[in-house]
Order: sequence, then structure tokens, then C-alpha cells
Amino acid sequence: MKRLALIALMAIAVLSMAYANGDTEAAADSGPVTIEYWTTQTQSDRLATIGVLVDTFQVMNPDITVKVIAVDENQMATQMNTSASAGTLPALLEAATPNTVAFGTAGLLNEAAATDLINDIGADEFYDGVLKLNQTGSGGNYYSVPFHGWVQGIWYRADWFEKAGLNPPKKWDDIIKAAEYFYDPGNNQYGILVGTMAEAYAEQCFTQFAMSNGAGLFDRDGKLIFNSPEMKEALEYYAELAQYNPPGPQTWRARDYYIQNKMAMFFYSTYIMDDLALAENAAGSLTSENFAELAGTSFDPDLVKNTRMAPIITNTQDAGYGTIVSLAFPDTGNAAETAAAQKFVRYLFSPNAYITFLHMAPGGMNPVIKDIAVNPRFQQDPKGLFENYGTDKMAEIINGLDSIETFGIVDGKRIDAASVIYSKQIIPQMIYKITQEGMSVDKAMDWAEAEMRKLM
Amino acid sequence: MVKARSIPGKIGLFLLIILIVTFSIFPFLQIISTSLKYQWDWGNPSLIPTQVNPDAYKELLNIGQDEKNVPQSVLDLLDDSDLTKQQKNEILDKYKDSSDVFPFLKYFRNSLSLSTLAAIFSLLLAIMGAYSFSRLRYRGRAVIQRGVLFVYMIGGILLLIPLYRIAVALGFLATPAGTFTALLIIYLVQTLPVSLYMLGNFFRTIPYSIEEAALIEGVSRFGIIWRIVIPLSWSAIVTVFIYCFMIAWNEFLFASVFLRGYEQLYTLPIGLRSLFVSKNAIWDRIMAGSMLTALPVIVLFMAIQKNLTGGLSEGGVKG
Amino acid sequence: MKKTRSLEQKEAMLGWWLVLPATIIILSLILYPIITNIISSFFKVSLMDRDTFVGLENYRNIVSDPEFWRSVMITLVYVVGTTLGTTLVGLGVAIVMNKTFPLRGLVRSLILLPYVAPVFSVVYAWKFIFDPVNGIFMDVMVERLGLFEQRFNLIGNPETALWVAIVFSIWKNFPFTYLMILARLQAIDKSMYEAADVDGAGRWQQFRFITMPELYFVLGSIVLLRVIWNFNKFEDIFLLTDNLKVLSIYTYFKAFVGVVDLGQGSALVILQFALLIGFILFYVKKVLKW
Repeated sequence: MKRLALIALMAIAVLSMAYANGDTEAAADSGPVTIEYWTTQTQSDRLATIGVLVDTFQVMNPDITVKVIAVDENQMATQMNTSASAGTLPALLEAATPNTVAFGTAGLLNEAAATDLINDIGADEFYDGVLKLNQTGSGGNYYSVPFHGWVQGIWYRADWFEKAGLNPPKKWDDIIKAAEYFYDPGNNQYGILVGTMAEAYAEQCFTQFAMSNGAGLFDRDGKLIFNSPEMKEALEYYAELAQYNPPGPQTWRARDYYIQNKMAMFFYSTYIMDDLALAENAAGSLTSENFAELAGTSFDPDLVKNTRMAPIITNTQDAGYGTIVSLAFPDTGNAAETAAAQKFVRYLFSPNAYITFLHMAPGGMNPVIKDIAVNPRFQQDPKGLFENYGTDKMAEIINGLDSIETFGIVDGKRIDAASVIYSKQIIPQMIYKITQEGMSVDKAMDWAEAEMRKLM
Repeated sequence: MVKARSIPGKIGLFLLIILIVTFSIFPFLQIISTSLKYQWDWGNPSLIPTQVNPDAYKELLNIGQDEKNVPQSVLDLLDDSDLTKQQKNEILDKYKDSSDVFPFLKYFRNSLSLSTLAAIFSLLLAIMGAYSFSRLRYRGRAVIQRGVLFVYMIGGILLLIPLYRIAVALGFLATPAGTFTALLIIYLVQTLPVSLYMLGNFFRTIPYSIEEAALIEGVSRFGIIWRIVIPLSWSAIVTVFIYCFMIAWNEFLFASVFLRGYEQLYTLPIGLRSLFVSKNAIWDRIMAGSMLTALPVIVLFMAIQKNLTGGLSEGGVKG
Repeated sequence: MKKTRSLEQKEAMLGWWLVLPATIIILSLILYPIITNIISSFFKVSLMDRDTFVGLENYRNIVSDPEFWRSVMITLVYVVGTTLGTTLVGLGVAIVMNKTFPLRGLVRSLILLPYVAPVFSVVYAWKFIFDPVNGIFMDVMVERLGLFEQRFNLIGNPETALWVAIVFSIWKNFPFTYLMILARLQAIDKSMYEAADVDGAGRWQQFRFITMPELYFVLGSIVLLRVIWNFNKFEDIFLLTDNLKVLSIYTYFKAFVGVVDLGQGSALVILQFALLIGFILFYVKKVLKW
């Protein structure tokens, strides 16, 4: 009986293997050039849109087959490094600019291909600030082609602020005053969400504070000036602010508390517009008859209406922050593949294709090409954001892309070492040490400085 | 061990069993609860949803899903292109089809074939090897026996890059079948040392006298393995099978790197992860996906686990 | 005389043949990575350019880092805690499950759940349960029972994260231990207990003098395997606590975040390997007295 079971199991296994193989062989038909396009857009609805773009492109260019492979952002480094070591890099890569720059400085990218493409489109078509983020150390060259971007800011409950008579969270003093005011852990309500877990989100939040206090990692000659009074002041302020966080180390996922009415402010990108629209959608599914049952739950139908964004933080100067997602051409050593990838990117930048792409996530994906931002088709987004927030507010947000400040650009000059520091997450680890492990600011800064020096 | 128990003893046993079961399944109650909650209900700490929401399951299993709305930008894009009407319709139909949110059955089939094959091959090789360790004497045995486990201690992420390099260099990753095989071999390597070790230890506890009798009757070594050793260690074999199966069933890192180019081979952990990395509010879908991933295994093991109750006693061994 | 020798030779040949397939597969796939690791641990490895030889610098970097030694300590606590916990819980459950009671089949299946469910999904269930703001645990402890004054982040706080990770690992892995022990328990000859009953031995004495010696071997190997597994454990801890710096996570941050530093990573893995061997030798010598 038992041996019979074993035999049966084996039969199933062999059959299922035959099945799996038979199924897969059909997929291997290829045109003269097949390129891999890695994208960090992993959601199925976004991939469906990319599928439309690829299909259309392939009909127009029957010689080129584009194979879309979705790679999770957190997996990107692993995937790039394994395929670089085995010589199986993709021809085209869509990833956050800090990553593409880090890959570029590691020598994984074909800079000439990116530079050609930018010049082909016209460098002056792009927002200046956006191009700067992609610049190599030598002038006029680029690691990758900026594609779309988001802006970060403090999102807050305008109605709560109004009722309490507080100023919108723009200046340092106002932010901390509001955070303290709304912090009420006894009633499970918290003042603010800033990143305190050792991951990129913490650096994103902190960078904006550091910049607004005029603190940088490097001077324009590339000398490390991390250990400055301005940086220390920003860190001390950040640590104080973090006391009004929900308990323990926190990251962007805690934005759920805001949607549940348990938090007054949180740092987030413009992607939240999409999420909030979704929340509103979900709320819309409730009928008035089951509303009665909702008494006492944390649901607020007016949440979206009462949410505002403060994109700029001010102390000694104004600072905005955001991230550009860029298209890079990894160095595959195959000219035909790179040429095909360039052709595809050129197509992605044609107005209709570009708007289609951006409309996958209205608010989250904003154009880096100036003309597109004012294109009426672009402003008719499927989630009605331009309608909700107003064209002016949206224009202000998109223009924010032009003034993104990061530690990697000093007076318009790129400092390559900054991208390595970013990718090694030294600043998030330092923030974790201060806010969670109770290390003193001085000691944590010394630790971070030593780690940074090791990388240079 | 069936003995008459006193009443307090029975109650004690009963309470103990309840405690063990609660400890084991509590997190699964949380999974089920979250998978059935509406988004506005996630802030509610109770395990009972305010209102039951089956949408996540419907969406993942593609039950009653409408076709996707086509945004204006996509229509504009197609209208302004030189494509023929037929080409446009094909592209649009593909877009509207929403069955690929979580192709559960496909992922499930891939995971099942990979895990079952890995477990069976690992078992076959390990039964032979473990028998050799425990019954046969030859030079070098101790070295191999210890070396196998020793080698196993080099763990972790660092094996990934060299192994990927080998697989590419040998051309395994050029075809889906080759990729499948490469991953299968890797799971074999990951499970074999432990399978060998555990079975070897178990075989050693089987009284040699039974085999001796068979040997004298002229049964071959293979006959002994097949007719005596395997039936006698059935419960250990099932345990090792479960171990190997679970390694392959849950493995993510190697699968994500090796299968990257072959979407049709994706396994459940990869599918679950790609559900997760979407930035929208999706806890209900993730938890529903987790339930759907765990459920088949539970059913499978409920069937297999009958074999665990039998074990040696059923084989009628009395020394 | 000659005849027995040839029989021995035949047996030896058979032994080799039986173990050969497994050995070949393991060696062919493990040897190359091990050798490349050892070599690259002496180099500054670049993915595109040529590597540069740096001697022992990678090692010196690690050994001089106090954080490294701290993670060694955390790893030791984690390994000892999880191994002891998993084994004891597994043993207790196996003994209970070896008794007869109604619905035994169902119960035996249910308690396999933690082991068979994907790590990825159960980790998030745990996070939900212990979520400081929305989780049922804090709700019950603070709001319902009033045991604590304030809500806190049990999984997130560095002091408590280690203990949550240990309990999680016990929860996740005890079913496997229980299965191994149960398999052995069922193989114990029932007549030994009957004889002991006749001799008037109590429950404890039967456990001590019949059950334990029979389980000795199986427990020894379970502990050994658990030590190896948990020493290199990465995914469970990383997904659950984000920043509990056991060795594997220290390695991850040091060498695999951003652009991979293979030289540093290799050196770390080799040190990790050496520590594990040391730990195991100590265990085998002092604890098992083999």
C-alpha cells in the first residue's frame, strides 16, 4: 500500500514535470532581436499597460521583441549583481535614479547610450534639476535617462489643524508643535510618521530636514563635511520629532494609521494620491444602510477631502525632496540590443505613449518633460486628480521635480561617493541607532562618519 | 501506551491539547480575519470582521471579475497609431483580460511539480546513501558522512552568485526546461545533506537482526531496502519528504533569480511576493493569497499524515 | 578466508555505489562556490573590472568591528534559545500526540500548520498580531486587561525583538521536531512499558529510563540540525524584525545592500562558517560527549 503511494506520487511528479515543460517551450519564439526590459512596476494593472505599449511598439517594429520582466525594487540589487556576474544583463532597466547611478558608478551601464538618447530628445526638453540627478562626474554625460518622478511632502489633516488653530506643517517649529499637540498615545493617536526603520524611507524623510537646515554630506570639492553643526541640529530635531511617531521603528507602511484616523501627519510621496483615491473608492462601496454599523470603527468618509500636502520644509532655507525613476542601458556588450532598447525608449517618450505610461499611477508618476506637464491630455487623468486638487496645485507639485535636492548634488555638481553611501543605507542605520537603540547623536554621527570614510 | 487515565488527568490532557492547537493556529486566524476585512476595517483589532468581504478571494481566483476599464490614454494611443483595426482589438482584448492578477493555478502547478520532484529525488538518493552509511562498511565512509553535513554549514546568500554563474555558463538558463532542472538540482543539494543525515540515523535504530535473516534467505541488498528498510522507516521517510517538500515549496531567493526570465514557471512564493510589492493597500489580497498558498499543503499533508500514525507498530515488528 | 574478503569488497563497492549519486551532486554544486568564496575573500571584488588582491584586509575589517562581535553574541543567544525551545516544545507535543484522544488525526494535522505555511505570509500575520496600534495583542494587554500602561512595539523594539524572533522560530519549527520525535516514539517497543508496569515503575521512571534513552540519538541529531539551520537563518528574522542584527543580517547589510561587495561578503561567510564549526565542536564535545 505504501509502496503504491510512493509510485503514485512519482507518477504525478513526472507527469507534472512533462506538463510544465510542454507548456513552456511554446514561449521561446524570437525575432531577430529580443531585449529584456526590467521594470520596477510590479503591479499587474501597471504591467498590463506596459503590455499595451510593448505590443504596439512590436507591431510597428516587427524585428524587435521586448520581454518585460518585473523586478521588485528590493530585489533589484540582487538581480542586477547576479546577472552582471554571469553576463546576462538586460538591455533596458527602469529603476530609481539613486540605484541607476549606483549601478553606473559600478561600471554596469552604457553611459554613451543614455547620453545619446537625452541629446536626441533634446536636453532642454527635460527639467534641469531632473537631468542633474543623472549626470556623471564629467560634464554633459548621463548615467541614465530620467523617465518619471514623485515628490515627497508632509500630508496632514487640514480639518484637525484648523480646529486646533495650528499653522500648516511647513516650518520646523510648526511641525513639531503640531506633532506634540496631536500625540495622544493613551487614545491610540499619534502626531506624525517619520522613518525610523533602517531603510530608504528614513533617509528620504531625513534628507528634506537636513537640506532645509543647509546640511550636506559633501562640499562642492567632494570633501566629506557630514559632521557639521547643521547636520547635528537636523538630527537632534529629527530625533525629537520621532518621539511623536507610533511606537517602535516605523516605515511608510504605517501610513495606514493615517487612513484609519489615528495619525495627524505623515511623510509620503505623491503616490498616496492614488492610494487615497482607492480608499475613497472603497468607502464608496459602503451603502448608507451599513453605515450605522460603522459607528466606533476608524472609518472617516471625509478623509480625502480633508487631506492636504505641504511639499516644502523650511528652517534656514526651503527644501523639497523626491525621487526620479530613470531608464538605464546596462552594458550588455551587444550593440544591436542596445540600439533596440534605445528605439523602444524613444517610443516611450512619444507623447501618447508617455502619457499612457504616466496615467498608470496619476500623482505618483509625473512627467520629467516640460511640455507634457501642460499637455491637456495628460491633465485628463483617469483618477481625476487634476480636477480634485486643481491644476495649479498639481503644477506646483510637478514643478517640485525641478528642485529636488539630494546629498549627491552640491551646487549642481554630482558627487559619486554620495550614491554609494545612499545604497549602503548608512544614514538610515544611524537614524535607527539614535531613535531606537538610544545612541547619542554625537556617537551615532561618529559611527556614520567612520562608515562613510570606509566607502571612499 | 493506552492506559486508563483518571478524570483530572483527562482534563489536563484536554487543556494541554487545546493550548497546543491554539498556539499553532492563532496566526492563521489572523490571516483569515484580515483576508475577509474591508480596507476601512483594518484598524479594528478584533479578529471578527465588522463586515465580511470576500472580494479578495474572488479577485485572486478570478471569480466574477469584470473586464478592466480602458483608460482614455490607451484609447488615444491606439487611435493615433497606424495599427490595423484587428491589431488594435487584439491589444485591447489582452489589456482587458484581468485573469492574470494572481494566476494561482499556474503558480500552484509549478510549485507542486518542483517541490514533489525535488522531494522524491532527494528521498531516493538519500535512502540509498543513508543505507550505505548505516549498514555497509567501507573505507572513506566516515569522511563522506561527516563531509556531507560539514559542507551543508556553508549557508546563505553567498551560494547564489556562484551557482547562478555555473547555471548560465552551462547553458541551463537558456530554456525553461533547463531552468526548471537547474532549480530542481539546487533544491536537491539543499535538502540532500539533511535527508542523508536524518535517514542514516533512523536506519541505524532498526534492529539488524531482521535484515540478517533476510540476507541468509538470499534476499539482495536492494530487496532489503525495498522490502524491509523502507516499510519499517515509513514515518521517518514521510517526515523527510515533508522537510524536502517544504524547502522547495517556500524557497524564494533562488527561485526569484533563476526563474526571472520565465514568467510561466513562477512559483507561489514569487507570486505572493509580487502581490505584496504593489504599493497600494492590499492586505486583504496578500492574506487571501497566503491562505490559498497554505491550504493545498494542509490538505496534502492531512492525507499524508495518516501514514505517520501507522509507522513501525503497524509494520508488526516485534524484535 | 579469501572468500570472505571478496564479500567484504563487494559490500564496500555497493556502499560506494549507493552513496555516490548523492555525493556527486552535492560536491559538484557546493565545491565551486566554496572555493570561489575562499578566493574572493582575499580580494576586492569588482563585478566588471579585474579584482585586486588585498590580503587579509577584508578579515581585518570585520574582526575590528565591535558590531560584528555584538552580532555574534546575539546569534548565540538566538541559536541557543531557539534550539532549546524548539526541542523541548517538540518533545512535549510529541509525547502528548502519542497518546490516544478523540480527533487525534485532525489535531495532528492542525499543528503542522506553522511548519507548512510560507514564511512570508505567517510573518505578516505575526506583525498584525503585535502591531502596536492595530494589533490584537496590544489591544488585549492595554485596553482590555490593562496589564501595561502604554502600547509598545514588541517586534520593533531592539530589546524585545530578539525574544519575539525566538518565539517565532519555535512556533514555526516545533512541528518538524515533533514529527521526528513522534516517528521515533512510535518505534519504541511497547512491551518495554508493559514490563515496566509489571515491575511497578512510575510514569517518570518509565520516561527517564525507557523513553529518553530511545530518543537520545534522535534528539542529538535534531539539536545539531537546528543549530546549523538557525545559525545561518536569514529570511525569517529579516522579514519579521527588520533589524535584529544576527550574523546573517549583519552580513547582508555589510555586503549585500546596494552594490554587492563580494570580497567582504565572502570573508564574512567564511568567518561565520568558522564560528559555526567551533560552536558545533564545542557542542559535540561538551554537551553530547561524543
